[in-house]
Amino acid sequence: MGRLITAEFRKILTVRLWWALLIPAVVLAFGWSFVAATLVTDLAQGVRDDPTFQRAGLTFQDVPWSVFALSRSINITTVFPMLFGALGLSTELHRRTITTSFLTASSRSALLGSKAIAYVLWGAMYGVVISGLAILGTLAGSGGHYLPDASGFLLIGLSGVLACLLWTLLGLGVGALLGSTTGSVLLLIIYAVIAEPILDLAFHNHVSGVLPNGAADGLTGATASTIIVDHLNSPVLAQIPPDVFNAFLNVIRIGAGAIGAFDWWASGLIFLGWTAALFMAGMLVNQTRDIT
Amino acid sequence: MHDGSGRITVQSLTKQFGPVTAVQNLSFTVQPGSVTGFLGPNGAGKTTTLRMVLGLVTATGGTATINGVPFSQLGQPARVVGAVLEAQGFHPKRTARDHLRVYASAIGVPDPRADQVLQLVGLGAAGARKAGGFSLGMKQRLALATALLGDPQILVLDEPANGLDPEGIAWLRQFLQAYARSGRTVLISSHLLAEVEQTVDQVIIISRGQTMYNGPLDHLRQSQQARVLVAPSDPAALTKALREEEIYNIEPQPDGRLAVGGVQAKQVADIALKAGVSVYGIEEERVNLEQLYFSLTNGQYGGAPIGQFGAPQFQQQQQFPQQPQQFQQPYQPYQQQQPYQPPRQQYEQQYQQQPYQQQQYQAPPPYQPPPQFQSPPQYQPYQPEQQQYQEPSPYAPPQVQDAPPPQELQQEQQTKDEREGEH
Repeated sequence: MGRLITAEFRKILTVRLWWALLIPAVVLAFGWSFVAATLVTDLAQGVRDDPTFQRAGLTFQDVPWSVFALSRSINITTVFPMLFGALGLSTELHRRTITTSFLTASSRSALLGSKAIAYVLWGAMYGVVISGLAILGTLAGSGGHYLPDASGFLLIGLSGVLACLLWTLLGLGVGALLGSTTGSVLLLIIYAVIAEPILDLAFHNHVSGVLPNGAADGLTGATASTIIVDHLNSPVLAQIPPDVFNAFLNVIRIGAGAIGAFDWWASGLIFLGWTAALFMAGMLVNQTRDIT
Repeated sequence: MHDGSGRITVQSLTKQFGPVTAVQNLSFTVQPGSVTGFLGPNGAGKTTTLRMVLGLVTATGGTATINGVPFSQLGQPARVVGAVLEAQGFHPKRTARDHLRVYASAIGVPDPRADQVLQLVGLGAAGARKAGGFSLGMKQRLALATALLGDPQILVLDEPANGLDPEGIAWLRQFLQAYARSGRTVLISSHLLAEVEQTVDQVIIISRGQTMYNGPLDHLRQSQQARVLVAPSDPAALTKALREEEIYNIEPQPDGRLAVGGVQAKQVADIALKAGVSVYGIEEERVNLEQLYFSLTNGQYGGAPIGQFGAPQFQQQQQFPQQPQQFQQPYQPYQQQQPYQPPRQQYEQQYQQQPYQQQQYQAPPPYQPPPQFQSPPQYQPYQPEQQQYQEPSPYAPPQVQDAPPPQELQQEQQTKDEREGEH
């Protein structure tokens, strides 16, 4: 198993794909969070100076609004580890290196298992880089205002690493299931970037929180929303009726890019379920696939 | 665990791809110590069979075992069997050395082994080049290098001569023979008998997914029969006269001639004279190995014979007089019904389709046999426990060499005879 994992790492490191996808991921994670944090800060300062809110006694002084920028930029950037995963096995099928890979492995399950482990580690690596750069971008863009504390950063960062890792594995599963590089890349991009965001807008409720992309967004988005809510002026919120509070929470989650998302842990479990299902299906198909 | 015998056993192997039966009830055994040719026309099921043996394709029925167990139970398969299945299994952007190092780590052999096999196949200078820029011949060599990484006991090669230049083919032939002579197993597929005729000792001929012949190439050679083609003034009278002389192997030809088997031209002419039949022309025809091969494998995509369009093709049932011993399927020993009439049309078509290969193999370039070839071969039993790599033969760079002196040729022939005597 260790030998096969080494072989998988060598497969990844001897072609350019891993950094060809990492470069745009770095740029997007930093750029998006920087720009978004700048906008959030401007907006928050406008709200703070608004006399209406001041008269109502709502103080937004210490609310870490910039977590929206952070979680949103991580969500967007997860598309790169997803593509990295999608090409993991489909490239081997496309380039026909799968023949030699199967011939040199003790069993197909050993090879597929080693590939899964290698890609989980790479997904985590992507996650660390993406979360790290998104945090840096947020810090730089916010100018030091409306930031969460260290534990807030850490929570969102970790949820980002988890999201990247699971997206990589989900991509690996879809690529293995379809067995086609172009097919799996197109399907995943169209679904995650176009189809589901439109569905989310149409549903506007927990349906999108159950779908893969919504659940993944919820992982980081709901974490960010929780941090915001925890920081809000609790005596004021306590007076708000529960249904109004839920509506307010939903608005905040929309702001964090996680429409209709469940709590972060529920979102995480739902996304884990999707990932496990697609990954297992992909592996099962290749367990018996005829390599002709 | 496997038994280390080096034997490949295929029993009643069948594969259906939807409505298409690619392989049907195929059985054969490949023994160590010799190069076995796996022959059949394109589409006969060779590649599918090899891939079933290697566990890449799941059989619909029957079993295929290597060293007594299915491929999936070999444990460390690359140390038992190395395969060259296609010259395409490379990432175009990965260098040859990196490609080999990926699989060296998968197999568990040290990295220097990658350079070792690169040297062995003559790609020592191309290790840092990307496989995408390789010629087909170089890819074949890289595929062979990959197969050799684990120093396997068994080598399986699917059409390895594709894309190789004549020098490469001569080198490969020498390499495989030396490999087999060290007590290992070599199974090599081809759609052309001529391509492997000088490499293989044993042949398995399949057609339409079924075994047509399985045995030593020499037995097939011995079954080559001469026949006499005679153009008589009165075919009926000559046929009668021949029968009176107890010669029954007579076939009328589409052009009006008679084909008489098992006799000499002189004999036929004498009988004709005695019977008062004029002979306008007479010739002896020897069926060569290639024609025999075509007659064993024809019918798969064959057109109707000349002059018989629309007519049922297989009407005359005749037995091969000197039957090779190891036909495995007695109910369909020969698909063709006119053993001595080579399917001219088909043969010529195929010949024209493959002109360069014919050319290439009819006059194989002379090469100097390495020292090992000049003495009688010594059997070196394969030792699976031994991790250290033993080169099956000294590396011979594939380069044009002068023809060996006559004495050496003689010795080589002698060696060959002795080897063939063992069967």
